[in-house]
Amino acid sequence: MATLTAQSVPETKATPAEKRRLLLLMGPPVLALLLFFLLPLGVMALYTFQTGTLGGEMSWSLETYGRFWENTALHRLLWRSTVVSFQTSLLCILLSYPIAYYLVFRAGDRRMTLLTLIIIPAWTSYLLRILAWKLILGTEGLLNTFLLWAGWVDEPSPILLFSKTAVIVTLVYVWVPFVALPIFAALERMDKRLLEAAADLGSPPWYSFLRVTLPLSMPGVLAGFLSVFIPTLGEYVTPLLVGGVNGIMYGNLIQDQFVRALNWPLGSLMSLVMLVALLPLFLLFRKSDQVLQ
Amino acid sequence: MINSGVPRKFSLSVGAVYFALFTLFMYLPIALLVIFSFNDSPTLTFPLSGFTLKWYQELWKNQELVTAVTNSLLVGILSSLVATALGTMAALGVIRFEFPGKTLFLSVAAMPLVIPAVVMGVAMLIVFARVGVPLTLWTVGIGHVIINAPYAMLIVAARLAGFEEHVEEAAMDLGADYWATLWRVTLPMSAPALAAAFLSSFTTSLDEFAVTFFLVGSDTTLPVYLYSQLRFPSRLPLVVTLAAIMMVLSVFIVIVVEKLRRMAS
Amino acid sequence: MNRLIWWKLALVMSAILLLAGCGNSDGDAADSDETAVTPDNSTLNVFEWSGYELPEFWAQFADQHPDTTVDFSFFGEDAEAFAKLQTGYQTDLVHPCSSWWQLYVDNGLVQPLDESRLENLQDIPESLLAYGRINGQLYFVPWEWGYESILVRTDKVDTIPTSWADLWNPEYAGHVAIYDSGETQHIVGSLVLGFDPYATTPEQNEAIVQKLTELKPNLLTYWTDYTEIVQLVASGDVWIAGNAWPDTLVLLQEEGVPVEYITPSEGRMGYVCGFGIPASAQHVDLAYDYLNAATSVDATTFLINEYGYGAANDKAIAGADPDTVELLQLNDSAILQSTVFYESVTPEQREVFVSNWDRVKAAP
Repeated sequence: MATLTAQSVPETKATPAEKRRLLLLMGPPVLALLLFFLLPLGVMALYTFQTGTLGGEMSWSLETYGRFWENTALHRLLWRSTVVSFQTSLLCILLSYPIAYYLVFRAGDRRMTLLTLIIIPAWTSYLLRILAWKLILGTEGLLNTFLLWAGWVDEPSPILLFSKTAVIVTLVYVWVPFVALPIFAALERMDKRLLEAAADLGSPPWYSFLRVTLPLSMPGVLAGFLSVFIPTLGEYVTPLLVGGVNGIMYGNLIQDQFVRALNWPLGSLMSLVMLVALLPLFLLFRKSDQVLQ
Repeated sequence: MINSGVPRKFSLSVGAVYFALFTLFMYLPIALLVIFSFNDSPTLTFPLSGFTLKWYQELWKNQELVTAVTNSLLVGILSSLVATALGTMAALGVIRFEFPGKTLFLSVAAMPLVIPAVVMGVAMLIVFARVGVPLTLWTVGIGHVIINAPYAMLIVAARLAGFEEHVEEAAMDLGADYWATLWRVTLPMSAPALAAAFLSSFTTSLDEFAVTFFLVGSDTTLPVYLYSQLRFPSRLPLVVTLAAIMMVLSVFIVIVVEKLRRMAS
Repeated sequence: MNRLIWWKLALVMSAILLLAGCGNSDGDAADSDETAVTPDNSTLNVFEWSGYELPEFWAQFADQHPDTTVDFSFFGEDAEAFAKLQTGYQTDLVHPCSSWWQLYVDNGLVQPLDESRLENLQDIPESLLAYGRINGQLYFVPWEWGYESILVRTDKVDTIPTSWADLWNPEYAGHVAIYDSGETQHIVGSLVLGFDPYATTPEQNEAIVQKLTELKPNLLTYWTDYTEIVQLVASGDVWIAGNAWPDTLVLLQEEGVPVEYITPSEGRMGYVCGFGIPASAQHVDLAYDYLNAATSVDATTFLINEYGYGAANDKAIAGADPDTVELLQLNDSAILQSTVFYESVTPEQREVFVSNWDRVKAAP
């Protein structure tokens, strides 16, 4: 996010006209955030200073903080989720960069249509898509049937399902289109003459890609990374459906606190901790952005 | 010429093959769902048990489900339009202007991405309940806007960042005022990003459950109905059939639009 | 080029809007119907599990009040429903399950029912009604009940399990799925270890955590919804499904999947759910009429035949499909006697159940 702050804007005193423009542009988003996000968030933050469950006894204390501090299982799962999210985001970028590149540089004026086409599957309920994948990968699924028929396996067993790997693979499947979008948008704005100029100067294609295309598309890549990494950190549905016994993530426990235990104080605290844990990431991106500039 | 410009035709390149495989990967589960919508069995297992149209017939009788789809589309489109608009405004402000508290704004604006949806749903419900706002599709829409606006901002900002400002400056030098330049130069140049932001928001909105559940009143949206429906395994094929119809229809619309566009150009 | 993109974008948008517009006109029509009638008695809001909104469940109400719209809102989990009501959501009827009933009463979310206004009360067995009587008052009318037991793929296993303890049998390693719920697993653990589930000591709770953790090597996954477990059993991934409902048996047998539903030696588990009228209900009279319609013989017979759940109304069994009743063992009082039904738990107990269950799940 901080990547966006460092853009070059002349350091001059803003004129009244500019101030008015800024106010008109930023007013509505800021207002919406204040009313519908910060206010509710503040309410949740207050809950962390309470102890107890909804419908039961609730009292003001710092006990919830103590409980979180002592529960090392929570810390371990937070770390596991971070690793899984990181791997997922990286894979998503590797898979979707060529797609965005292909659409922008090779697909001509069909590119919007093709982009929409790869997004459409995501309009089907997530649950149903996962169900369909289980039909493909399950014990009596398509893949096993094929492998049995081909004589490559003797004993059918679920492939990939019910493991941490399954969680990553499924998350990649679900999030890949969302990463393709910002990379597409970033590549689209590139001035193609730069590449022609590079080629005219005798630069080989891979070199132009590394020195021109890739750096120029970095804002899109970073945006894509953030838009997967951040939400997958709190993900709970995928681990439930394909994670098996040992694929439980931090988000599952937050979910349990809210919709099973009704322990809103602990659930809120766990969410806020996740938020704080992400702060170094924002700083990291600001650094990398300065390097790029 | 490394790229030989922008080719007019598809050539069977590595890129095209990769794109085709990728598309296949995305559509494989969808194809299965379409097949199973014609399968004469309440469970989804191989081998198939026989051809039937009964799920389609039953679907039309299920008024509640059809209404849920309509509501979802309505909320999806409107909230995505608003989210894209808000995200674009914020992106313009952040990229083009320097103002105190910008870093703070960016950090806060990114937070809806980080907070688990269930927490946001509960938090917003508490506030709405305190203030006395009745739960309707409007409250659902507000929730979706808050979830999606940060994405929209990310996408649009990724395009605006390092955008050739001299084009805008040139337009303004030619006498166009700021808003006219925005409308005629900046936004059209960002059109793919706006479309991408809209698509992203719409996609999220259509399948959003956690926030929606807490903010929805008696106007059910599709995911809310669907999650609750999972209690009844025998009704699974209805949901699958609905998904199949929506997919086929969406692809059909996109193809028709593409054909129209080609005819026009 | 830019112009072209704009144009394209506009086209896509208008196509989508057009699509939505077609659907929208239906929605508008429905809305105007609602507002056209006088506000009082024009709508009844029912907070339900989806699937129970089918008109067959309230046909009698529809005859009685042809001008009233029944507006359903849905939930998929008891805790969500409770949280929503506790936060101030207004509705005329709510349909939670028995272990939550006490909590609704303690928080003043539901009002005591006037038994003289409930037409079908005499047909509901006192054993079920007892769960709805809290602090000496009837607050909830039981509507449906069902068993939770072990479902077995008979073609995949050599030994058919005979008890909850058999879930731990290493023969089934990697093919057992149990329900992802702290409350449920606390009861399963208690049954296996011979504790009273609702009066466990902290030491006993630790023993349960230990015991459940030892089950992990046998598990393929935890299941979270009925559709998922049916799919898992049908596909052959899961051989032993803990806490499955008997209707899954009906469904799978119809599909030709060889399954058996056992009665564990510790007894089956069982659930009861039913209707309560929220304290904030705006249409109490309509709510009573709806309750009477839902508990009528016709509606509850439909419940057995359509979904294969037990109906609280005893008279429903007479009219229900005998094969279904037989298969579901709905009239076998011996099984019913030994069944351990979910009882009300305090928020503190539930919190302990869930956090202990989270410890099991998080154990490496």
